[in-house]
Amino acid sequence: MRQRFFTQDRLFIAVILIPLLLFIALLIYVPAVDTFNTSLTNRNLRINRPPEFLAFENYARLLQDDEFWEVTGRSLVVVALVLPIEMTIAFAAALLLNERFPGRAVVRTLAILPWMVPPVVNGFLWGWLLNGEYGALNGLLYQFGLIGEYRSWLRDPNEQLLWVAVVQAWTRFSFPTIVLLAGLQGIPDELYDAARVDGASVWSQLTRITFPLLLPSFAIALVVEFIAAFQIFDVVWTLTAGGSAGGQINPFTRTLMLYNYELVFRDLRVGLGAALSYLILLMSLGVGFIFVRRLYNQGIKE
Amino acid sequence: MTWFNAKRRRLLLLYLASFILLFWALAPIYWVFVSSISNRIELYARPYKVWFPSEPTLDHYITLFTTGAGYRDGGFSPTAGLMASGMRSSLITSVVSSAIITVIATGAGYVFARMKFRGKQVSFYFLMFMMPLPIWAALISLFFLMTRLNLIDTHLGLILLYVVFSTPLSVWLMSTFIRDIPSEIEDAAFVDGANRWQLLWSIVFPLARPGMIAVFLVALLTAWNNFLLPLIFTRSADVQPLTVVLTLFIGQYEVAWEDMSAAAVLTMLPPFLMALFFQRYLVRGLSMGAVK
Repeated sequence: MRQRFFTQDRLFIAVILIPLLLFIALLIYVPAVDTFNTSLTNRNLRINRPPEFLAFENYARLLQDDEFWEVTGRSLVVVALVLPIEMTIAFAAALLLNERFPGRAVVRTLAILPWMVPPVVNGFLWGWLLNGEYGALNGLLYQFGLIGEYRSWLRDPNEQLLWVAVVQAWTRFSFPTIVLLAGLQGIPDELYDAARVDGASVWSQLTRITFPLLLPSFAIALVVEFIAAFQIFDVVWTLTAGGSAGGQINPFTRTLMLYNYELVFRDLRVGLGAALSYLILLMSLGVGFIFVRRLYNQGIKE
Repeated sequence: MTWFNAKRRRLLLLYLASFILLFWALAPIYWVFVSSISNRIELYARPYKVWFPSEPTLDHYITLFTTGAGYRDGGFSPTAGLMASGMRSSLITSVVSSAIITVIATGAGYVFARMKFRGKQVSFYFLMFMMPLPIWAALISLFFLMTRLNLIDTHLGLILLYVVFSTPLSVWLMSTFIRDIPSEIEDAAFVDGANRWQLLWSIVFPLARPGMIAVFLVALLTAWNNFLLPLIFTRSADVQPLTVVLTLFIGQYEVAWEDMSAAAVLTMLPPFLMALFFQRYLVRGLSMGAVK
């Protein structure tokens, strides 16, 4: 009987997995390899000539180009701005939602709504809130006497990145909140009881018990949010990129993904764009590997 | 004095904190909603804003579907038919792709959760590895591949792409979900001589239904909200989904924010309804097993 199931199982696995793996191979991995090959050429759709093989010249060119470093730096700045804002809010929200009080379920349900907002709408939404002439933020601050006159929040290039980060944190904070909340609920109450008996203050309970025990949850949230912020596209596109397809992209918020879009689909410098996408891939690889290993350990291995 | 005891103080503090949290989370959404039902005069009032319209109106929603979104200085972007076609495209592509994904993910999830075989880890890594990577690496050549297959600018092409890019997360979700289902019933059916297909159909499908709902909803949300893929892979207005249509409204002139707001509300509405009615499934799916 075991034998019968053995061959039957193999067929079952093959029928389910092989088409799926082929499908993924054809639509993801083959194009990925092809993109790599393209990255070794000077393929350019604007110029009608057969692409020449350049070896790693595109990569060298990007790495020597100030613009590449500027854009990379800007993406890292976005990450560096998003993560602290987002994690602080998420930690505070998780602590709140971990308390028992009437109405907690409602608060929890409503607090995840920003997460549901399509990123494109998100950018538009905040663009309207921050509008210099009629924006609601201006109205609110004016009415509370916090500003004397309306101002254009998105005009100053130095502030644009900050707003991109705020908007990203607004839409994404629910995810770390949920992860941290699950972590909080896993901490046994006895630990706090014991600490209270020993006369520990609320603050030292927070720093000695809550925070250390939440580190794994923080790690998960940070990895996922790092990837999301590093590869930010839609929000920038609608908030500060300043254009529909084909237009100039605002250089002050041009992050890696926008730069890549610009190189390939606007400038049609496909070879160079392909090289850039591989550089981005290399930069995400480390973080990505940690991520996948965690998934495997948690999901499959017993 | 009793009013100010520790218990009440704690509650007061919690509600204050809840208010701050909800203000941060909901104020922007509230404002877009108010903008969509305000008349122009009130909406553009300054410096004091009108925080709720004295006469709420649905005119902007009607305008959106009849004449199209206007520009601030008069004139209209040619959007009359765009809203309806965008909604139709979004609906078709996201529902169909999510249904396909759910079936695939349940089958593959079962295989990864229950079966031992050579190459399991390799094939799992093969599937998952694309998830955290920037999709650009594949996207550039994928664009040429799709062009050659004549799938650019079609619903079918978009569906295919949504399925591919949602597969890893969905398979992973289903495999963790199925692993948590006790296997005794399957073992019993096994002994009774059921084969794997019967098992999958008559035992796993019913038992894994909550997981399948979660996978379906996550895929639906991801597809509905997607922007980059349709931006690159569609061109004509009648194929483009709502997210792309929305950006078409923003032309070289300042948009009429009240019309834009109405369009934005319509785009946000389906995800919101999903969140309000299926929160448990959706959160479980989206938090990728971080919450059990």
